[in-house]
Amino acid sequence: MKEKKNVKIALLAALFVGLIVFPIVDKNTYHQLALAQTLVNVIIVLGLNFITGLTGQMNLGTAGIMALGAYSGQLMVQKLGMATILTIPVAILMGVIIGYALGYPSLRLKGVYLSLTTIGFSEIVRLVITNWADFTGGTTGVQNIPALNLFGLKLDATWKLTVFLVIICAVLVFTAYRIVNSKYGRVFKAIRDNIEAVEACGIDVAGLKIKAFTLAAIFGCIGGCFYGFLMTYLNPTQFTQDLSANYLLMMMFGGIGSVPGSVIGATAVTLLPEFLRFTKEYYWLIFGIITLLFAIFLPYGFISLFQKEKREEAGIFKILNDRKGKRKNAGVPKSGGMR
Amino acid sequence: MSFAMIMQLIISGIALGFIYSMVSIEYTLIFNSTGLLNFSHDKLIMLGAYAFAGQFVLRMGCGYVVATIATVLSMFITGILIAKGIFNPLRNMASPIFAVIGTVIMGRIIKELCRIIWGATAFNIPGFMKGTFKFGSIVITRANTYIIIVAVLLVIALQLYFNHTKSGKAMHCVQQNKTAATLMGINVSQNINITIGISAVVCSIIGILVISLFSVSLTMTNMIGIKGFAAGVIGGFGYFPGCIVGGVLIGILENLSTLVIPSIYKDCVAFVLMIVFLLVQPKGILGHKK
Amino acid sequence: MAEERKSVLRLENITKKFQGLTAVDDVSFDMKERSIYALIGPNGAGKTTTVNMITGVFPPTTGKIYYRDRCINGMKTFEIARLGIGRTFQNLKLFNSMSVLENLMIGGHEMTKIGLVNFCFNFGGSKKEEILLRERAEEVMEYLGIQDLAKRNVKNLSYGRQKIVELGRAMMTGPKLLLLDEPAAGLIPSERKEFVDIVLRMFEEGMDIFLIEHNMDVVMNVSTYITVLNFGSRIAEGTPKEIQSDPEVIKAYLGDKYQEIAAKERRD
Repeated sequence: MKEKKNVKIALLAALFVGLIVFPIVDKNTYHQLALAQTLVNVIIVLGLNFITGLTGQMNLGTAGIMALGAYSGQLMVQKLGMATILTIPVAILMGVIIGYALGYPSLRLKGVYLSLTTIGFSEIVRLVITNWADFTGGTTGVQNIPALNLFGLKLDATWKLTVFLVIICAVLVFTAYRIVNSKYGRVFKAIRDNIEAVEACGIDVAGLKIKAFTLAAIFGCIGGCFYGFLMTYLNPTQFTQDLSANYLLMMMFGGIGSVPGSVIGATAVTLLPEFLRFTKEYYWLIFGIITLLFAIFLPYGFISLFQKEKREEAGIFKILNDRKGKRKNAGVPKSGGMR
Repeated sequence: MSFAMIMQLIISGIALGFIYSMVSIEYTLIFNSTGLLNFSHDKLIMLGAYAFAGQFVLRMGCGYVVATIATVLSMFITGILIAKGIFNPLRNMASPIFAVIGTVIMGRIIKELCRIIWGATAFNIPGFMKGTFKFGSIVITRANTYIIIVAVLLVIALQLYFNHTKSGKAMHCVQQNKTAATLMGINVSQNINITIGISAVVCSIIGILVISLFSVSLTMTNMIGIKGFAAGVIGGFGYFPGCIVGGVLIGILENLSTLVIPSIYKDCVAFVLMIVFLLVQPKGILGHKK
Repeated sequence: MAEERKSVLRLENITKKFQGLTAVDDVSFDMKERSIYALIGPNGAGKTTTVNMITGVFPPTTGKIYYRDRCINGMKTFEIARLGIGRTFQNLKLFNSMSVLENLMIGGHEMTKIGLVNFCFNFGGSKKEEILLRERAEEVMEYLGIQDLAKRNVKNLSYGRQKIVELGRAMMTGPKLLLLDEPAAGLIPSERKEFVDIVLRMFEEGMDIFLIEHNMDVVMNVSTYITVLNFGSRIAEGTPKEIQSDPEVIKAYLGDKYQEIAAKERRD
């Protein structure tokens, strides 16, 4: 058991080193950009996983969160001459503000309200950054974003930024993994399973849901902040509802509620178009259909192919198993049928 | 600001408001019968518009009446297929989150399909529902008149259907208690199929009506989709009279808001109202307990 | 009996109306310390509604609820639970995607102190806390005799075991008063006996228990005091012995016909 764990840690360390070395060795900027874009998406999907994957509250505002995370910092750099490094704490602060400002009205109540406020929020953010041209640059957006300056160390080449992103992403993956596998992850999942029972344990469900959403917003804003540095420009047409849907798709594809699932989902959906160039304009259609089939037949996503318990909980494997009649505990009454 | 102008703002507000009300009704139908919010609803409306304008009128050259009938029928079938393929299998999963994400992904698929089939550029039907009616000093566009008439007829038709036909009453039962409905011999799955079919029909009607307000494009329904949700929250979520009241209220208020704020921000009115209601009166105006 | 025991749970003139339907009508009772208090009555008598009002799921239309002489009207469910009122549900409410151990550990979540921000940086402290929580859960599992099920998914357990897990989860919250909503429903006799034994053991160790039950066997054997509801109103209260011979109760449970037959038999 312990050996297995050590092997895992060794593999992850090797992966980490490999990812750091890759952009240094491979001088192809295009490859570096693809890796950096993947890492940004991993960060955002990890955040989305807290509120939607674990807690089961639909967040449709990822694009708006990213946009605010990116714009808030960059506008302060451009208008106030703030140091670029400070965009990261600004993004985190923005995440906290979004988390509470949207979470408080919608998550106090039972029901679907978070999805409604986030979807509206996202469109309003887009509307405002499109039309408030004096401040946000309108449809031309924020141009010529300066390189991130780490206390004198300028990340002025894509490979430098990518290496830094690998480190940030590793820290965030580790943090996300710890949270998911802690008392917090457990309680988030419990909220998805049964809210009344969580309340009966003396747990403040509304407060925890707001915490989960705030985590999602913070991760989303950090992702957005780096997205800005990566693209070197921002404009409102990038942050559409489709973008939010794409992140949900990544999460569903990889595996809901699981950190490795989120990482795999984000990586697969971001990188595969590079390999499947012939799909061109059909790409999202194909991926959409695959993921929808996943939702029906393999709801816990790609990762559940390797997890017996999850795999057989629902979907195609359950159907196959039921058909074989191998299911244990068949015929146990589900609720107080017998008196 | 003359009286006539304010009246015109109010009347076009009412017309837009009825669009929001219909959007609200369309997703409430599905919400009540399955407990799921259909986040692809705006894409279904868009699909209706594309089918009518892109396919039947412009490509096949059908008359408006024939095209309307063809659109409604094909959308009904689409709705039933979606119900059979997606809603019913996903409805019984361990957590509703799978189904809800499923609907988002389905919306994404519909949009991609529209883009691939009809292209990404916006287009319009020349002369469709254009022109105005004049009542004294008040001018009302032909489109707004049609919208109000169709919306009222639709609401009456749905009322009649739910209260006076056997399958409509069965739907009422399914909405209230699925287990009891099953025990009463109602086929819940089939019932949900038909409900979603009807919802798709309402979507197609909305789609046809909004062609004259916005041109046919891939983002034409983004805003009405969201405002439909806001209408539900403001009027009373999951409750038909609430949908109508909420929708019309948003329509009027956002049109009147242009008197005090720049008109580009009028789209924010619905959202701000929704947040205010969530904070102060989460049950909505009609206070229906759901 | 003139002994003065403190009140644990007191309901004063509680009424609950659901859109014209009166589910609970002017019910009052006073549960004293060191008792197993049973609330019984036929289906639809308003028992579960009463428990839901006590635990703050919905507010009473009129009337006041006191827990240890503190009014708990208007408090949220989790706040009431934090006062030390644990509960189980009539229809099981477990966390179906998780193991028995995890279910119990969620019950103990409120014991833990480390906040989310602190958690991200305090590695040692959070690990220590997790171990403590696990140990506590293991203790409870041992107490209930389900330690061998720790890693099993609750969804795959038998109904009787699931009920025990739910009881364990309620214990993990460290309650001083435990509300059990139809604990014996759906259990086979051997499981029922096991459950009764556990409840009695917990009572002896100092927990007060409020019981809603259908099964007369359990009620009469376990409880120290009983209130009987019928159609939302209180029709009797007393010790098990008094209740057993109360004509109103017999009528409620067995109907008027039985009453007539019994009267006729007596005359004959």
